Amino acid sequence: MMSFFLSLNRIKILGFFLSLFIAVIGFQMIRIQLSTHAETLDSWASNYGTEVRTIQSERGYIYDRWGHLLAGNKEVYELGVELQYVRNPVAIATAMASIFGSDYNTVLANVSMPYDSTGSVYVTLQDFIPVDQIDKLDALKQQYEEANPYGENPELPSLRGLVWTPHLQRIYPEGTLASNILGFYTYYDRDKGKGYFGVEEKYDNLLAGIKQKVVIPLDPYEMQEIPTAPAGASLVLTIDREIQRTIEKILDKAVKHNSAKNGTIIVMNPKTGEIIAMASTPRLDPNTYWDYEKLFPAGTSYNMAVSQVYEPGSVFKVLTMASALDAGAVKWDTPFTDTGVIEVGGWPIYNWDRGAWGNQNMIGCMQHSLNVCLSWVALQLGPEKFYEYMESFGIGHRTNIDMANEEVYPLSEPGDPMWYSINLATNSFGQGVAVTPVQMIMAASAIANDGKMMAPHILHSYIQNGQQYETNPQVVGAPISKETSDILTEMLAISLEQEASDALVEGYRVAGKTGTAEIAVNGQYSSGRTNASFVGWGPVDDPQFIVYVWLEQPKSSIWGSVVAAPVFRDVVKQIVVLMNIPPDDLRKSLVAGQ
Amino acid sequence: MTTSTERSTNNRRQRRKVNIKWAQAFKQAPWRGQIQSAGLFLLGLVVVIVVASIYLSISGRAASAGLGAYRMNVERQTLERQIADRKARIAILTSVTVMEQRAKDMGFERISSTDAVYVMVPGYPGKQAVVLAAPPGINESNRSLVLPIYRQSIWDWLFQGINRLSESVGGGA
Repeated sequence: MMSFFLSLNRIKILGFFLSLFIAVIGFQMIRIQLSTHAETLDSWASNYGTEVRTIQSERGYIYDRWGHLLAGNKEVYELGVELQYVRNPVAIATAMASIFGSDYNTVLANVSMPYDSTGSVYVTLQDFIPVDQIDKLDALKQQYEEANPYGENPELPSLRGLVWTPHLQRIYPEGTLASNILGFYTYYDRDKGKGYFGVEEKYDNLLAGIKQKVVIPLDPYEMQEIPTAPAGASLVLTIDREIQRTIEKILDKAVKHNSAKNGTIIVMNPKTGEIIAMASTPRLDPNTYWDYEKLFPAGTSYNMAVSQVYEPGSVFKVLTMASALDAGAVKWDTPFTDTGVIEVGGWPIYNWDRGAWGNQNMIGCMQHSLNVCLSWVALQLGPEKFYEYMESFGIGHRTNIDMANEEVYPLSEPGDPMWYSINLATNSFGQGVAVTPVQMIMAASAIANDGKMMAPHILHSYIQNGQQYETNPQVVGAPISKETSDILTEMLAISLEQEASDALVEGYRVAGKTGTAEIAVNGQYSSGRTNASFVGWGPVDDPQFIVYVWLEQPKSSIWGSVVAAPVFRDVVKQIVVLMNIPPDDLRKSLVAGQ
Repeated sequence: MTTSTERSTNNRRQRRKVNIKWAQAFKQAPWRGQIQSAGLFLLGLVVVIVVASIYLSISGRAASAGLGAYRMNVERQTLERQIADRKARIAILTSVTVMEQRAKDMGFERISSTDAVYVMVPGYPGKQAVVLAAPPGINESNRSLVLPIYRQSIWDWLFQGINRLSESVGGGA
């Protein structure tokens, strides 16, 4: 019994010391909490406990209508040094100079900067380095590391301290192809890069996705679901890269052959408003977007199809004739005797050749592109009706095509200070009125599409959060009736055939109209400098395409019928194959035999 | 018949008996009580050790899972970059200019519409634009990958349980 009590006392003594030990630990904990170092420890904990990271979504892709990548992203590296770990600055400078061709002295100066835990800890040496070059550097670093582990021997080379971090860079795999449609993204500015021109600018917010700063806990006990930024939306465009490539080649050849200043060609589906191809000159390789200022001096549009207004000339006559036919002011066989001049508002109007073409009907007027006749037609229609129709064709308004920097020129109408009665006559044949090619093709699409005018658009669908959303074709108006569109299409097809135009394509019946517009220089029209245009569509009985051609200031010939009509023919000859449109006879027999 | 004096005397006797019984219950050997105290202490200690072990095991696994998630996230980002890079490389290798040149080198040339052979295929709608993702309507991607139960502490779970219980007993607010 005695021994039990003795042992109990020892337990009590042990308990006492253990309690004392616990009390000391508790006291120390409280002392640390209240000490002057507590704040430092707390700041360390907050510094190392979390990391503020900027999460940047991957920029969305851009595809053509068949899924070919037109704009994507590639992996590149940022190369820098962590000054704290640099062992041999000379070796780093030498490696940089030999692999990347960097300036040895600049690199050496950067790498030799003293480490300062509150300031200089990291220096960026180079950015946007391709993977293959980084692989070379990595191999060299490992080789040095094996020979000189941890860089302990200062006599031997070491690349310790050199670090590289991957990131994505915008890339346009097709180079200049469709660059006037795509625009470009200023990827070199990693913080404030943005899209310029074309769809890169128009859909910049959609493509960019989300950029946000998030706090990520580094304590694994607090590791929550790590926030991610969903990639930007991807776009599927309406264009076909094969057709785009084809019309770009045709355009480049035409501009060169005719010594034109610039040019543009648009191919559109008149039934949906989908832009199948749109080419302009000059074209920039968006991968080297910094050449923009060199390639586009002041006054040059990035995409003249949507951003440059011009006086279209006689192609505008299709709108005048459509309005007059629709309003009943004339019929296709209405006779007109051309005396070679007509006076409007006290000013004489002449034909393009200053000649008198005698007795004509409306087909003849269109075939010979008679200014006098079309001025007379506009007078028959009257200014009120004429401008009402022009408004309904969208003249003077933006088409709202989904591309950046669309331009518009206001349409002067009766009552405006700049409108005179002669404007009715000059406007009827496309002078004194300015449009963009995309405005013209939209207006003309009404004639090719049973009177319904479709909104031109470049976006077929977009993919966001794993789902593909399609855009629907939109009718923006019906300025004329189906009967009018049928009659005018037939008139234009006959006029091309009777003229034996260079626009005709063997096996396919097409309708169209040339245009030659004089360019005003210092307020005076100069017949030596013109804009040559052509608008046409086909096949006449079931239009699948509408094509607009504009060559700016061609030198080989000033006439649209000579320079623009053959371009239309070349385009149609190629696109009927690429769009799988059989020759008319074959198509009709195939349909009949179905 | 008993008087009130007799009744009170009986009550006092009964209370004394009870007090005697209680006094007798504590009259056990002192070592027995000490053993009981030591046993209770050891039992508490065992419970604390078991709880601490479970806590350490769970938190260790949680930390390991956290680090695993972090590593997998880094790996996912790497894979995403590599996928983007591969797509770009494939696009360069199959760009229209490269394909055109390859076709030319292999002896192909463009046909004209008169050389082409056209066949009418009943019911074939023609080549359709690319479909790269599902149409809208399926919201699978909006679902969080980590279920709420895995982000809940034991206290959250306990309090929620108590709340649910009190609501079911009280009929809810």
